[in-house]
Amino acid sequence: MLSLRTRGSILSRSSNAVRAFSTARTTRLAHQTNAADSSSMPNSDYHIIDHEYDCVVVGAGGAGLRAAFGLAEAGFKTACISKLFPTRSHTVAAQGGINAALGNMHPDDWKWHMYDTVKGSDWLGDQDSIHYMTKEAPKAIIELEHFGMPFSRNEEGRIYQRAFGGQSKEFGKGGQAYRTCAVADRTGHAMLHTLYGQALNHDCNFFIEFFVMDLLTHNGEVVGVIAYNQEDGTIHRFRSHKTIIATGGYGRAYFSCTSAHTCTGDGNAMVSRAGFPLQDLEFIQFHPSGIYGSGCLITEGARGEGGFLLNSEGERFMERYAPTAKDLASRDVVSRAMTMEIRAGRGVGKDKDHLLLQLSHLPPSVLKERLPGISETASIFAGVDVTKEPIPILPTVHYNMGGIPTKWTGEALTVDPETGEDQPIPGLFACGEAACVSVHGANRLGANSLLDLVVFGRAVAHTISDTLQPGLPHKQVPMDIGKESIANLDKIRNANGSRPTAEIRLKMKRTMQADVSVFRTQETLDEGVSNITAVADSFKDIGTTDRSMIWNSDLVETLELQNLLTCAKQTAVSAAARKESRGAHAREDYPTRDDENWMKHTLSWNQNISDPVTLKYRKVIYKTLDEKECPSVPPAIRSY
Amino acid sequence: MLSGIKTVNTAISKRVGPNLTKCLWLSTTTSTASNKDSKLPTGDQISHTDLLQRIKIPPIKRTNESIDKMRSRLIYQSRKRGILETDLLLSGFASKYLKGMNLEELREYDELLNELDWDIYYWATKNYKISKIPDKWVDSKILHRLQDFAQNKNKEILKMPELDKY
Repeated sequence: MLSLRTRGSILSRSSNAVRAFSTARTTRLAHQTNAADSSSMPNSDYHIIDHEYDCVVVGAGGAGLRAAFGLAEAGFKTACISKLFPTRSHTVAAQGGINAALGNMHPDDWKWHMYDTVKGSDWLGDQDSIHYMTKEAPKAIIELEHFGMPFSRNEEGRIYQRAFGGQSKEFGKGGQAYRTCAVADRTGHAMLHTLYGQALNHDCNFFIEFFVMDLLTHNGEVVGVIAYNQEDGTIHRFRSHKTIIATGGYGRAYFSCTSAHTCTGDGNAMVSRAGFPLQDLEFIQFHPSGIYGSGCLITEGARGEGGFLLNSEGERFMERYAPTAKDLASRDVVSRAMTMEIRAGRGVGKDKDHLLLQLSHLPPSVLKERLPGISETASIFAGVDVTKEPIPILPTVHYNMGGIPTKWTGEALTVDPETGEDQPIPGLFACGEAACVSVHGANRLGANSLLDLVVFGRAVAHTISDTLQPGLPHKQVPMDIGKESIANLDKIRNANGSRPTAEIRLKMKRTMQADVSVFRTQETLDEGVSNITAVADSFKDIGTTDRSMIWNSDLVETLELQNLLTCAKQTAVSAAARKESRGAHAREDYPTRDDENWMKHTLSWNQNISDPVTLKYRKVIYKTLDEKECPSVPPAIRSY
Repeated sequence: MLSGIKTVNTAISKRVGPNLTKCLWLSTTTSTASNKDSKLPTGDQISHTDLLQRIKIPPIKRTNESIDKMRSRLIYQSRKRGILETDLLLSGFASKYLKGMNLEELREYDELLNELDWDIYYWATKNYKISKIPDKWVDSKILHRLQDFAQNKNKEILKMPELDKY
């Protein structure tokens, strides 16, 4: 039996100390493991520190920070735990902007924004959530402005709003809307810093560079999380009445993705391991042009200025797929054509697995003046001089529409096994890219994701403050709660199998890129399911080399791989099951949307990565929060 | 719903108030919807008006850290950045140079990692017009080496190196 030595902790409440607990505490660690018999329960002696909070937020990006300081402000003792220093959260990368019908550039109406978002979601979005988000959007912007976010201005001194794809006036009939607020090209950066500044002004306790491993559950209720402090190797159990997952997406399951290497679906996987479902993972947004191997985006402006795509035969293949628009066809058309070329064996490179974007025929002045960032990006990340050589590119994962199913209130959901009705998971909330509210449905519109973060981060805080009193005592739970999580950590830290983490990780990425990306047929998806199942099964043969408990990147990256594998496997199975085309899920063999049979959310369960994935479905919420105020948008063909 | 709004950071609000930022958009409001990117002000304008909010967040103080522990930490922090661009630059740079750095160099690199990701990226690529370089980094040997690394003289596709390369 695993013995857990626990120690009560006294926390200093501190508004600006990054580490809120006393680091002076001596922490003794002993790593005695029975390496000869790694299959039995570990007899290692981990040092465990217990904490009690009203609320615990996992993740310190835009959504996590907004939830955390909202909760602290409402008087809850709140911990925010992140594997990263908060300003290194991936929210910082968002450049586009944030949508809200402020009407600063022309008369605007949040109901038009609502219509655009439902249409963008290809009617997979829940209309109550979309109603809530678009109605709250102007308030969210004003709130951010009051917090000090330096939005760019128009000449009247009001918040400037620019045009963005998918945004229209008068329910799609009034032309392009100017609805996107921005802070120059660093909106995500400004938002993250603004929100972190707010969090520091409130009584919010940060636990930085702690890797949260698992949820703590008892009798079907989420009662906290268990984390590993990388700096001193201690294990921390956080009890909480409400646990909020805001850990972002899992783009790293793919060979080519635009997100930072931290985006490994940790929160999604914790929810899966705890026996709860994830939703709509098959819906993944791809960008047609990421640099092969690096993932860095080459803006679509490159094709707009006259750049074109080439296959291994030097052919401008887009002429075949889109005779009129050619290389200027829409994102999904270009991504699909590229994938078809690769599958037909006309890819370039050693593995014939990517294509080329040629710009060298453009006049140097165009490259220099209109595409300055591209020459630099191509040179740094691909070693390519765009005036002489083409850039190797590949359709690249950009956003996960799926995630932890939640209501518009931020409460995480499952379904009643008997009735199939929605059922909140006691104690669990989610927001941001980790959540599937679902406001993005089958496809996210640009500049709606930063909005999603703040609106639903705030909604979580409101819901909890309406339903919970600060300072309530915690229920009794077993003394050894979390022991499975420690056993898993111990097993991985001492794993001496034949397959290194890097090998399994690359196999997973290549499998997902090849079989579960843009081009989808029953055959390729079934192949994807069988291939990713084999990769997940190989995880039992994993071998790690670093046995320490301090800043052990090998350990953390292997835990992350475990998290990615469960996301990847559920993605493949969900995609193979959905026999229609909707938004980002485009099937060659089922080319149209099938509302009669498939206007429903996929729910997937996978408690252990070697278990088969179980699927169920739940209804898309068609009614808005108030049909009188904002009638539902009836399904129609989504065309732009 | 918005009862919780607090207007704080008055210093920042003042600094980025409408008067200062107004000029930024004078030349941009007349453009059409056809080229949405053209409306963005360039980085040049940003740094000149000091538009971007820089809440100075103190880094975590590390005490009694051994050199090996520091190196392990810096490996983690070089591989876990907020944006892909610095992920690739710093993870590659660290795999090449971290092993050979002495304590003084490690400290300097540690300080560089505490800077903001976008700043690190623009300094590494010498885009000082976008992100003005502070005096303390102008003569930094570590930054110069990173700038050299960012030139990708071997013309490779930059990927994050595996952990056994450190």
